[in-house]
Amino acid sequence: MNHHSKIRKLALLTVLTSLCLAIQLTPRPPNAEFTSFFTFIVGIIYGILNGALFGCFIMFVNCFFSPYGFAGLNAPFQMIGMAIAGILGGIYRNYLSKNIYQKRFCLETAILGGLIAIIFDLITNCGWGVSFILSGMNPTLAFFTALASGTPLAIIHTLSNIIVFGVLTAPLVKILDNMIKGEGFWLKKEPSYLHP
Amino acid sequence: MVEKRTLIFASIAILIWAVLASNIAVYFYFQNMTYKEQNIESQQSQTKIAADYNESIVKYNTLLSEYSKLYGNYSFPLNINFTSLTKELGKLIVNLRGNYSILTKQKDLNETYQTLWDNYLKLSEEGNITREKFGELLNEYYELFNLLALRELNEILSETVTLTVNICIEYKNGTLEWHNKTEVPAGSTLFQLTCKIANITYTYYPTIKPGHILVNCINGENSTNNWYWLWYYRSENKKHELKDQWDAMLGC
Repeated sequence: MNHHSKIRKLALLTVLTSLCLAIQLTPRPPNAEFTSFFTFIVGIIYGILNGALFGCFIMFVNCFFSPYGFAGLNAPFQMIGMAIAGILGGIYRNYLSKNIYQKRFCLETAILGGLIAIIFDLITNCGWGVSFILSGMNPTLAFFTALASGTPLAIIHTLSNIIVFGVLTAPLVKILDNMIKGEGFWLKKEPSYLHP
Repeated sequence: MVEKRTLIFASIAILIWAVLASNIAVYFYFQNMTYKEQNIESQQSQTKIAADYNESIVKYNTLLSEYSKLYGNYSFPLNINFTSLTKELGKLIVNLRGNYSILTKQKDLNETYQTLWDNYLKLSEEGNITREKFGELLNEYYELFNLLALRELNEILSETVTLTVNICIEYKNGTLEWHNKTEVPAGSTLFQLTCKIANITYTYYPTIKPGHILVNCINGENSTNNWYWLWYYRSENKKHELKDQWDAMLGC
């Protein structure tokens, strides 16, 4: 990797981080978020480790400045949940076929978006369960209560993630792919591995 | 032959569906359990209210029949000595304390009862009791008896029903102090509500009706010769916090 490419990647990562933080910290409907989407994208573009770190970092900042208030005990659970989104992005990148069709790519990312939302919600609900246990509730009842009370939000999260991942991943990956591969690729009509 | 990749993603999609469906099932199960518990609690409280209400009404009817008997003798005196009737009234007054435990809980009622008892003792000491004097005492008894019955019913209701009230204190300098969404048991009086939200001093007057109470001071703001604490009510549809929005003065 040449020097310009490294700088470009670093600049792009910084822009993605700022954009993601700005969206995450803006008041919005509960559980309709873009952070897992950006984390997944970073995982695809930069690999497992960077994707996981990106997710952790965004949720760490979010824990303190979220429009819904300080995350408290749930903070580590949110960080782990979002890191998994980055890890899944990195894993998906490793198994991404060079000749995948765009429709299929959209379908696969939509399914992964749903999976990420479910994993994230399960983990954060466990966090709430731990809070309930600490307040004196029976552990089994605590986890089931947390799971049940989080269900409406989990459904919103999963459906919104399926839509966001299905619609936005392909065009964003195309753009980022072109940007990272340098000036020679700026005017490229098709991405390297996405066929229409 | 279906390729492995398609199978993996199909499995993930089924997993998502299964988890969501399970979550929804658990959610509705818990909702159902919660509503059932609330329903049982509601039924229990309704049963308790009904039982307490019935007990209170039976007690009221018993005391009322005794009062009616006495009132009949008072209204149609046929060679009846009012001194002996006064003794019977004394028994009824003693019965009140035995039957209404609320007397010890509410200070104003206790003071009214004490005044009635003092008047009874005073009248008993007189040798010749006239019909008029007996009538006055009987009337005092009847008022307190009804008030006690009413307060007891309020107390029964207040154990399960809570009211949310918006109350505003307006001071002499025009400052408005709102206490919104204050929760009080149903049947509470405005005096009890005011005691809850502010520091007040008051004087108890046995002869003032209704209420017997004159509020002297709220949060350090004293009544003076020209200024008294008054209270008004306001319709729910009047949303503005303007002084001229009040519907009517009801008392002081």
